[in-house]
Amino acid sequence: MSTKDLTIAVVGSGGDGVVTLGEMIAQAGASVGLHVIKTEAYGPQIRGGESSCTVRLSADPIASQSDKVDVLVTFNWGDFARFRSEIVPKADAVIFHEANDKEESKLEATPGMRQVPVPFVNLAKEATGGAAAKNIVTLGILCELFGLPIDPVRSAVEKKFRKKATALEMNLKGFTAGIEYGKSIAAEIPNKRLEYTPGTPKLLMSGNEAAAVAAVHAGCRFFAGYPITPSSEVLHFLGEWLPKLGGSVLQTEDELAAIGAVVGGSFAGVKSLTATSGPGLSLMSEMIGLAAMAEIPTVIINVQRGGPSTGIPTKSEQSDLWHAVYGSHGDTPRVVIAATDAEDCFHATVDAFNIAEEFQIPVIMLSDQLIGQRRETLSAENLVHDVTERTLPSEEELENYKRYKITPNGVSPMSIPGMVRGMYQTNGLEHDETGAPNAGYITHEVMNEKRYRKMWAIRDKYHMCTRFGPEKADLGVICWGSSKGAVKEAVEKANAAGLRVAAFVPQMIYPFPKRELEAFMESVGQLLIVELNYTAQFYRYLRTFMDFHDKRVSVHKRSGGKLLSVTEVQEAISRVLNPEVVATEVLV
Amino acid sequence: MSTVYKPADYKSELKPVWCPGCGDYGVLNSLHRAMAELQIEPWKACVVSGIGCSSRLPGYVTTYGFNSLHGRALPIASGMKLARPELDVIVVGGDGDGIAIGGNHLLHSARRNLDLTYIMMDNEIYGLTKGQAAPTTPTGDKTKSTIYGNPEPSVDPCELAISCGATWVARAFSGDVKTVVDLMVKAVRHKGFSFLNIISPCVTFRGDDQFTKLRAKVRAVPEDYDKSDRGAALRFTRETDVLTSGVLYEVTDVRSFGDKLQDIAHEVQNGKPMPGMSDILKTFQPGL
Repeated sequence: MSTKDLTIAVVGSGGDGVVTLGEMIAQAGASVGLHVIKTEAYGPQIRGGESSCTVRLSADPIASQSDKVDVLVTFNWGDFARFRSEIVPKADAVIFHEANDKEESKLEATPGMRQVPVPFVNLAKEATGGAAAKNIVTLGILCELFGLPIDPVRSAVEKKFRKKATALEMNLKGFTAGIEYGKSIAAEIPNKRLEYTPGTPKLLMSGNEAAAVAAVHAGCRFFAGYPITPSSEVLHFLGEWLPKLGGSVLQTEDELAAIGAVVGGSFAGVKSLTATSGPGLSLMSEMIGLAAMAEIPTVIINVQRGGPSTGIPTKSEQSDLWHAVYGSHGDTPRVVIAATDAEDCFHATVDAFNIAEEFQIPVIMLSDQLIGQRRETLSAENLVHDVTERTLPSEEELENYKRYKITPNGVSPMSIPGMVRGMYQTNGLEHDETGAPNAGYITHEVMNEKRYRKMWAIRDKYHMCTRFGPEKADLGVICWGSSKGAVKEAVEKANAAGLRVAAFVPQMIYPFPKRELEAFMESVGQLLIVELNYTAQFYRYLRTFMDFHDKRVSVHKRSGGKLLSVTEVQEAISRVLNPEVVATEVLV
Repeated sequence: MSTVYKPADYKSELKPVWCPGCGDYGVLNSLHRAMAELQIEPWKACVVSGIGCSSRLPGYVTTYGFNSLHGRALPIASGMKLARPELDVIVVGGDGDGIAIGGNHLLHSARRNLDLTYIMMDNEIYGLTKGQAAPTTPTGDKTKSTIYGNPEPSVDPCELAISCGATWVARAFSGDVKTVVDLMVKAVRHKGFSFLNIISPCVTFRGDDQFTKLRAKVRAVPEDYDKSDRGAALRFTRETDVLTSGVLYEVTDVRSFGDKLQDIAHEVQNGKPMPGMSDILKTFQPGL
């Protein structure tokens, strides 16, 4: 039976070309308008070692990677064993494994599963004289058997190798050999051909790339950053593009310098950005306080990974929430926005700039390894978002200029160097309206009040959140950030099964869209909070300002390091809807 | 005709919080004079500092000013200069601020050779926190944090700056206003990272006699050596009995970081129209 939703995983070692193969499968899907989500996983080795690539292709929109795969290609059972917990074949999966692999299959045979030995290396040698093209041979086999578009893939191969005539010839031969081999075994392979109507090609982007593109769109022309996994793609992208756009990029000596340079660049009047991950955000805490105190627009993208400390650098977790919301000494106003997928990384980043520029405040855009590094299809026409420019002081405001003038919404006129009558000296010391240091209690109270007044104005203007599911529901799921993907698909499945489940996902984390959540709570019976961290940070954060009254509240939370799956959210939903199960108590 | 600026035009209304007799007064006065000599347009200048007694200085100068975080003046100044290369960016601060907590930034700002002027007011002590040993405090000296004598060897800031790759390094004594003004002018004019270490005595925590003791050691740097010879310049560092004042090291044939970025921009832009969003999004189309 053909399918509208197919997931292919490829596993191998360095030199097997797994990453290229996965990328070409994803591009093949994107080129015919399929919805694609591609994730990668690596061993700890810097170069070489085992790697895997999983691509989900679907005729209908998708929000999450698959829990289990339909097709697995493994060049080496030893490598597959290392991904055993992450790559799980479905009960009726088709497994292609290297026929000459000396190791035994690492999969238990099930009645529906087909394990097909394929002489990948020999096929490549016969067709091209060497083993290097075996990934392209595999591509041919997969195209033939699963309905991937052959012509766009062939032209992708041509483009990739266009600069080397011999390599091009080899790979095209390999691709054709793969197609032929696929035809020869087609009869014994269960039909899992993708069924779709070809449409307009889509873009293929990671969340980090989408965030970097958003920065350019928002008018950011200065980036400073220190390399850190899994955020470095932002540095790479802007390092390539900002010089072409009249901007500049500084790779700093550490994250202290990165955010320092951003504060300096923004003080000077240029929209500025840094991107980092947990350990870097920790180092930036003091400067976030300065940006709040001196009221300088500052945008920080934080791509979360397993923590604390070095933690699990290459894997996703949602455990920097408290740090983003509370981290810093003193009373430090800041804004926290959480993106939910790659496309949302674009919108959240533009919003981050808009809020920072309008309200002269540090804004943290929380993303994570999953959405930051996975590549997914999106449409160029969705990448539009209004941009707010910084307002410079008026002539009137420059008369007897007060940089930190007390105003109704807390926002004061901010001049930039070059403005003759706008000179001021700022500092991290408490200061009066002119910026002059002042250690008086009254001034401190008044200025704290002024700085926090912005939060109310921001809450009135920005309350980005998403709600899905029926208007009235027995269960309301609340989650944030990348958990949205698995929650969305789980809720859709629950709805399809007749369960009345709805969900609420705030993109705005601080200040929180409280009224919207209150309205959601009124529309649902009990609540289930889903998040990927050990201490239930989001649940506890909500508890600081929400009164759940007599609502039954359950929490599904666990450490990151393994992606949140649709199945586990479905199970959590079933569990809490079972009247015999008591609400989960958070004990940590 | 353009305005002619006088030293008083750069003086702000704020009254310094420094102790009577502090060497930083001399540095501040010299800076006002140097800026007048350079005819710096105040609104196109940024004076940036970290934290410490001397880091209060930006408040006393009528320009754009930023009294930032302990140790972080250089990164903030770097961001300003890269964002707005046309601005004059002057960094000021103390020895603890620049060599202890901010030491890493000195290393990298110096080697990067961004066009910044860094004036370090060196009093060999932590004054704001009332008298603890700094990296510049001589070995054996008794301070509040080294009551049995400082067990650590001390740093010579000029030696450090030269080793890190600064392209202009000088030393002066804060009481010697004429020399300080002259060196500040040269430091600002130098295209690249210039480092001016000004011995600025702390009479409160280093003793009343500091000023006279240090002044007695000052001697002018000999002019009979190649200033671009790093080895030769290093002979005037780690001195104990004398305090050599003047430009110790200077190279002018190294392009500044800003110039190099301009070269790169020129090369990648190559006269082509600036790319728009559609050009950027094209790179994410499948099959490229």
